[in-house]
Amino acid sequence: MTEAAAQTLDAATDEPPLPKRSALTDMLGELADLWRVTLDTLFYTFNHKREKGAVITQCYAIGNRSLFFMVVTMGFIGAIVVYQIGIQTARIIPDMSLVGATYVKLLIRDLAASVGAMPLATRVGAGIAAEIGSMVVTEQTDALRMSAADPVDYLVVPRFLASVLMGTSILLIGGAVAYFAGMLICNLSFDVNPYVYMNFSMVTSGDCILGFIKCLVYGGTIALVSSQRGLRTFGGSEGVGRATTEAVVGSLFAIITLNLIMSTIGNFLLPA
Amino acid sequence: MTITFRNIHKAFGPKKVLQGVSFTVRDGECFFIVGASGVGKSVLIKHLVGLLRPDDGDIFLDDTEVSRLTEREFYEVRKKCAMVFQSSTLFDSMTCEQNVALPLRKHMGLTMKDALTEARERLSQVHMSHFATAYPAEIGDGMRKRVAIARALTLKPSYVLFDEPTTSLDPVSARRTDVMIRELCDQFGVTSIVVSHDLVSIFGIADRIAMLYQGNVRLLGTREDFKNTDDPVVRQFMSGEAEGPMQV
Repeated sequence: MTEAAAQTLDAATDEPPLPKRSALTDMLGELADLWRVTLDTLFYTFNHKREKGAVITQCYAIGNRSLFFMVVTMGFIGAIVVYQIGIQTARIIPDMSLVGATYVKLLIRDLAASVGAMPLATRVGAGIAAEIGSMVVTEQTDALRMSAADPVDYLVVPRFLASVLMGTSILLIGGAVAYFAGMLICNLSFDVNPYVYMNFSMVTSGDCILGFIKCLVYGGTIALVSSQRGLRTFGGSEGVGRATTEAVVGSLFAIITLNLIMSTIGNFLLPA
Repeated sequence: MTITFRNIHKAFGPKKVLQGVSFTVRDGECFFIVGASGVGKSVLIKHLVGLLRPDDGDIFLDDTEVSRLTEREFYEVRKKCAMVFQSSTLFDSMTCEQNVALPLRKHMGLTMKDALTEARERLSQVHMSHFATAYPAEIGDGMRKRVAIARALTLKPSYVLFDEPTTSLDPVSARRTDVMIRELCDQFGVTSIVVSHDLVSIFGIADRIAMLYQGNVRLLGTREDFKNTDDPVVRQFMSGEAEGPMQV
């Protein structure tokens, strides 16, 4: 190959390089962009009519297709957590009567939402980022803008609504599965009667409210973070892969940060 | 009714893609933008419809400066200035007729039923009415391109931007696309800006041609001007020779 031909091929595959910026500038830019996507999403959620069937389609993609994965994952997590609680309890006070009661409080207040949101983020977040990212690199989002359809309104809002609705539902179902998996392990490993295990005396309405709010917030957060990453995709299939990874990492980071914030506020407003 | 680019600058990070591009496209003209890959041809036309914003410079459409409009203000520009993208950019989740109906619903506020009726008519104009209910994945590249052209023309725009319209088409489909672009200009007075590498298209239908090179306009002129130029860079590009002064 001649030098000129090599130069031509290089140029044909050349992508505009990223601007060199500091990590802090990058992070602030990402947060500002996420904030803009969030505001736009909330605006369109309450001000625009949805495309017929758009939310239902996304509910199916986010809900039904995640259900089996979440049930299995939360079942195993529930069993492992209760087994470890049982072992540690047996070392300190060999009385298993309150294992179910403390576990269900922990599950409702935090674990069902926070732990369940992590596998949900990997399953749902990756899907959203890959789908939107592919549309960006194939210029479909530009075509949407040419058709007077804002990509946030058209792509993000249905996924946001579906993720809030189905994410919450799946996290609640996952929590229930984790609870019953724990009951099974408690009975098989520590010989705790299911009637003793099913003790809800320690659960307060505050626990239920806080747990439910966390489910709603995590569902929305996964969709927003993943959509924002998808919309910022550049650079072909490699870019889609990068956006997908960043969507999962960003969603997990957001869940953990929000959990800390909501748990702290929850301890003041809705004491355990 | 003209389009004017004045001193347009655009950089992606340290890479300066456009460095003071200026030219005017006349009313009803079939104007070609040519140049090596990565020189910024597609980048330039995307500025006109607000898909990219210039770092510096002005863009006038019908004597209105458009480069600093908001996204919502650009909706009016996009009504009269359509774009056919390099890949067909049809939405996979919609049938062909739903794809064509989308701009009618969003820009014009038509109901789905009315928009679909109109869309079928547009599809028949590009000989795609038999595939109206097919999904993009079920039809070939050339057919998708025709549907994309139908979608772009559905609002009867005054200006159409074509980003490499003959790429990935067989020679017959490519020449039919050329004829269609020429007819748009001659019969309907549509002003077309075509980004292309296709020399047959360029020398077949262009009224005027601008060649971009190293971020600026190297030569602007008619087909004859390009055939008779002494500029070695332009001559190399037009002849497609691997060796020469052209740096990419």
